[in-house]
Amino acid sequence: MTATVPRATRAPSSRAAGERTVRVRVRRSASRAREEFVVRASDPITVLDLLRQIQTGHDASLAFRYSCRVAMCGTCGVRVDGRSRLACRAVLEPDVDEIEVAPLAGLPVVRDLIVDTRPFWAEWARVKPWFVPAGGEPVQVEVGSAAEELVESALGCISCGACYSSCEIAGHGSDYIGPAALNRALALIADPRDGAAEERLEIVGGRGGVDRCHYIGACTSACPVGLDPARSIVELRRLRLAGRA
Amino acid sequence: MPDLAYDTLTADVVIVGSGGAGLMSLLHLGRRAPELDVVLVSKGAVGRSGCTRMVQGGYNAVLDERDSLDLHFADTLAGGAYLNDQELAWTLVQDAPGVIRELERECGCLFDRTADNRLHQKPFAGQSFDRTVHRGDLTGIEIMARLRDQALRIGARELEDVRALDLVLDGEGRLAGLTVLDAASGRFALIRARVVVVATGGSATMYRIAAPAREKTGDGLAMCLRAGLELRDMEMLQFHPTGLLAGDSLLTGSVLEEGLRGAGAHLYNRLGERFMERYDPERLERSTRDVVARSSYLEIVGGRGTESGGVLLDISHLGAEEVERRFGGMVERTRLVGADLAREPVEVSPTAHFQMGGAVIDRDCRTSVEGLLVAGEDAGGTHGANRLGGNGVAESTVFGARSGDVAAGLARELPLAEPDPGLVAASLARAVAPLRERGESPSALMAELKDVMWHGCGLVRTREGLEAAAASVDGLLERAGRAAAPGGREWNLGWQQALDVVNQLQVAQTMIVSALEREESRGAHFRDDFPERRDDAWLRYVVVRRDGDGSLEIGTRPVALTRSRPPAAVAGSAA
Repeated sequence: MTATVPRATRAPSSRAAGERTVRVRVRRSASRAREEFVVRASDPITVLDLLRQIQTGHDASLAFRYSCRVAMCGTCGVRVDGRSRLACRAVLEPDVDEIEVAPLAGLPVVRDLIVDTRPFWAEWARVKPWFVPAGGEPVQVEVGSAAEELVESALGCISCGACYSSCEIAGHGSDYIGPAALNRALALIADPRDGAAEERLEIVGGRGGVDRCHYIGACTSACPVGLDPARSIVELRRLRLAGRA
Repeated sequence: MPDLAYDTLTADVVIVGSGGAGLMSLLHLGRRAPELDVVLVSKGAVGRSGCTRMVQGGYNAVLDERDSLDLHFADTLAGGAYLNDQELAWTLVQDAPGVIRELERECGCLFDRTADNRLHQKPFAGQSFDRTVHRGDLTGIEIMARLRDQALRIGARELEDVRALDLVLDGEGRLAGLTVLDAASGRFALIRARVVVVATGGSATMYRIAAPAREKTGDGLAMCLRAGLELRDMEMLQFHPTGLLAGDSLLTGSVLEEGLRGAGAHLYNRLGERFMERYDPERLERSTRDVVARSSYLEIVGGRGTESGGVLLDISHLGAEEVERRFGGMVERTRLVGADLAREPVEVSPTAHFQMGGAVIDRDCRTSVEGLLVAGEDAGGTHGANRLGGNGVAESTVFGARSGDVAAGLARELPLAEPDPGLVAASLARAVAPLRERGESPSALMAELKDVMWHGCGLVRTREGLEAAAASVDGLLERAGRAAAPGGREWNLGWQQALDVVNQLQVAQTMIVSALEREESRGAHFRDDFPERRDDAWLRYVVVRRDGDGSLEIGTRPVALTRSRPPAAVAGSAA
């Protein structure tokens, strides 16, 4: 056979295969303390990999959640060194030899790194997050329209709760709807196919709504899929004012 | 003595699984029969576990006047090497356009559109028309997020983090409900029900390199098997050709999407040879999944793979900017593991991806047990010997929708049967057994199974290898009877894993015996000792059933060629 350009003979890039040890401090619920595990790491390694190694090799009772391990299910949210992230997306840099993992903030801890997500979903449900067909035309969002840009900007949320956890106002028993649910509300309110925009504008303008936001922008920084809930909240305020005018 | 206490719940319908099939079933139940009491049982977070969520590619549906149902049907049969149940394949093709419109117009899914406002349909391997509807390369998230929102509207009772254990019959063999285990509290429950819809997804996680989500350990298949249902095509397990290699990381096995090869990516072995020139000189890397996956595997086991057991996928000749623009998600995925798809070759390996085999159903998802419906990857027959990209999420949602419609009718007719207490007790006794202090490690058993299946019942099979795998799986199953998961009942992940591995092993047995039975090569099933496709002898599907004593009964039946016959030229030619 005729070998084509042998560019592929170049070694694929990968980090040095050397093993190292990482000290992982995990917030445990039973002891209400941080527990330290020394884990052998070979690159590439994510925080999710570290947790699984602890669970299978050190302490079978460590509780945490995950499903897809490729940032699509949004169930492995934790705080890594204080930052709300997906454990599957948190790749350990080669020079890091200690980290701290804690449950998401703002939500009650069920066990170890597992939080009760019901308050998050209760807020999500409050904005009436399901599509309500307006009936008749249009049956689609016009390509290239301003509405399309707005709707698109708010889609793709995996409801992992990283924004909610990073927000100083959401959670902890507050009545704030929170960035994820407000972002969902915007996607529907901006969608010309949807028939419940007015009702949702009332909701997001009411108790615990957009006025609770202090524009710190932690939600946008925390979003693991690159959404901008802070901008969505600004847009909601604008739409609400436009609606009143 | 371990505690076998359980709660008893009653429902009209129980749906097991909250992926595309399960939530679509719920949506249709909610519409057809809002008065029914429906319970949704989900092993993980509702709407966020399973694999519909992970769909990158898209959804095949005939929407263009230049396309036709006949064409989509012919593509599906050709892809499935004519092993498909033709009535199921036709149902898929026929219902898909309606379901995609429903997802768009009633659930609000936003799919990519063309400049003239038509749904954009992209080309996919093995299809004679561009018919794959998508939202960028994150189609699954859009569909599942919108179905999850609809489930919130419907407000069924959702049992989250609850795994189904066993289907329960009454003294006369009628469906009476199922047993479940709440992973959070460690408590058991018996849910009495008129109708049960099984939609948990397949079991491809039992391979060393595998793509699916954590939950998919063959729970539904194993439940159906233990309840005496027939499974078909269990030898048919699809490997996706380009799974990421990332050492011990869980990222290993995650899929780099098919579109890369469509866009012109090359595959090289360690020697720099573009090896597809030897296996399929005409289609090269654009050949079907089964051919590319097997070719890569043969390079790797032939000693021409990379050091970590892969081949190299290279698309950098398109230019970094172009690759980043078109495949941003994939570039990002490779950067997570320290590689860079936009600029250099990336190590990949075939990865276990999708189970074509499953429970025998009719086009309304009915099984041999009245009131028991199976939908999605737990069912067999729709895809035959190989699934086309884009037909997976179509299957989940089409048959999920049908199962909901059918369940609505059945639940009004069927009585609540009286669960056989012996079956309930036996189910709970099996489930509680791993809560012992000392014994076999569930995660070690699972790791061994993954190696056994990878080598013995993987991309290239032989009688010898399959028999060795069968013996190994029998040994593992025996050891799994001694699995230990100390640490109490609440959120004991080791306990859950011990239950997972038993399901995986029981399903593995059916896959191995089916693969032994099929002495030819077809689609995903390749026998090195029988490398030809034999339409003269093997237009038959393999059916396996478990007897009361646990032994497997195996047989074959002719494929009913009700709508289409394979082209005659195929008989006796290479698979």
